[in-house]
Amino acid sequence: MFYDLNVPYSANEAHLSRTLAFISELGYNVVALNHSIVGKLPPQITCAIPDPLPFKDVPPKLEIRRRVTLTLTESYQNARLAELARAYDILAVRPVDERTLQLACSSLDCDIISLDLTQRLPFYFRFKMLSEAVKSGKRFELCYSQGVLGDSAARRNLISNATQLIRASRGRGLIISSEAKATVGCRGPWDAINLATVWGLAQDRGFEAMSKEPRSVVVTAQLKRTSYRGVIDVVYGGEKPALPEKDVRAVDGGEGKGKTKQQATTGLKRKAVNEAVAGADARVEAAAKPISNREAKRRKHQARLSSSDAKEGATNGRVGGGGDTALASADGERKEAGLQPAMEAG
Amino acid sequence: MVRIKHRYLLVNILYPDAKHSQLAPATKPGDNVPYTVQFRRPSPDQMNGGLLMRLIRDGVVELFGDYGSGKIAGSLQVVKYFSSATSTAIIRVSREHYRLVWSALTFTTRLPRPVDQPCVFQVVRVSGTIRKAEEEAIRRARLSIRRAEAAAKSSSVSIAGTASTTPTAVAAGEDDFDMIHGIEDPDEPGDMDVDDDG
Repeated sequence: MFYDLNVPYSANEAHLSRTLAFISELGYNVVALNHSIVGKLPPQITCAIPDPLPFKDVPPKLEIRRRVTLTLTESYQNARLAELARAYDILAVRPVDERTLQLACSSLDCDIISLDLTQRLPFYFRFKMLSEAVKSGKRFELCYSQGVLGDSAARRNLISNATQLIRASRGRGLIISSEAKATVGCRGPWDAINLATVWGLAQDRGFEAMSKEPRSVVVTAQLKRTSYRGVIDVVYGGEKPALPEKDVRAVDGGEGKGKTKQQATTGLKRKAVNEAVAGADARVEAAAKPISNREAKRRKHQARLSSSDAKEGATNGRVGGGGDTALASADGERKEAGLQPAMEAG
Repeated sequence: MVRIKHRYLLVNILYPDAKHSQLAPATKPGDNVPYTVQFRRPSPDQMNGGLLMRLIRDGVVELFGDYGSGKIAGSLQVVKYFSSATSTAIIRVSREHYRLVWSALTFTTRLPRPVDQPCVFQVVRVSGTIRKAEEEAIRRARLSIRRAEAAAKSSSVSIAGTASTTPTAVAAGEDDFDMIHGIEDPDEPGDMDVDDDG
């Protein structure tokens, strides 16, 4: 699964459907349509992107999410951020200076931090700040499209900033997306990964930035919105799906093949069977295990102590009479303790 | 004497814009042609290996300067294979520097002067031998024909006004342009068919 989490939404139907078809053709599976807000939030927050898209020929295999990008200006108040987040699937913020970046990394409850990499940023990235954001589940976005479409200054800034970001984040918590304003700005997933590789991101990290990291963004964003405290979500409510006949048979066959003979007889799963066997082994082992020297010595000592007690009792008892048997038993006990401490302990 | 190792890049040229379409000549460009056919349409006749070679050289000079162009000059060879009918090319370049050529292709947005169309280059295979690249090219050509057929069928169905559930099932068939496992050659060629998604 490849993700492109930044495709600008335009109301132009022909352009958008063409772009979506092209992205699907390039090999992406999930896209997020992006709506940007600069400045003040409108009084009534509604999703600007209609839920079933208004045109018919959306590629059937393409999964579509809705995302909003809020530019954090200097006089920013985050009072209504939660309301904005609820209206869309994914919330991204775009800091413009170091103070707002710090704010976005630490306290704002957003999913993606998307910097405008085509401008010369007046500050350096610091690992401490970025790692704090990554630890709390936010991801940083690299948009390659302006570098492809823009002039050479934009490209130079993009490469410089992307290199800085890759260095400072140590390659962790990045996502690569297009932000393609025109269809020509989209590139295939592996082409974008290669670009990131040339810019200094290892290839496996680049692959993760195309697949694993954006997936985590999508899933956590969904969990934040639909689940109970971000922990529990009802994925499947228990209603029975109408399985076609063929599928049922296929599932049965798979189970039969997977089971071993032992499982079939005991009716347990493989892991449970193994554990039961292991437990029985352990018990037998504990019984048959020879005791250690130290333990033997300890027991011998105890036995001696008890026998001396017994002797004392016996001497006392001799005065009273009938001490012979007591002495004999104490002697016998000592002999036994010397020879077979294990038996006595048992 | 150590053999010089090469990489063969299998490249598709995609045309995202409808304006210069040759398939839908006069009336309403690209209205009834499915998108997948529009994107993968044949290249114009002026497009050939020499032009592609020039394009790559210029791109590398623009991105990497004299250093990059000097590095790839010895080994770059485009005319291994170029088909304007399927818009497919196989480019040979030395193994150390194939990423330079690849990123130059990625940064290309227009074909140069005599053709002058917006285009997107997509590298679909990086291979150590030309044979594997050829096999992949054939497989992809076959697949794109099948997809175009499926798309045409589905569009005709949707024009007729019925629900388009069955054609999507056909389009989402088992074999696809699947690149999730990487586009470089696996170590053992037999591995490709057995692995499942992870």
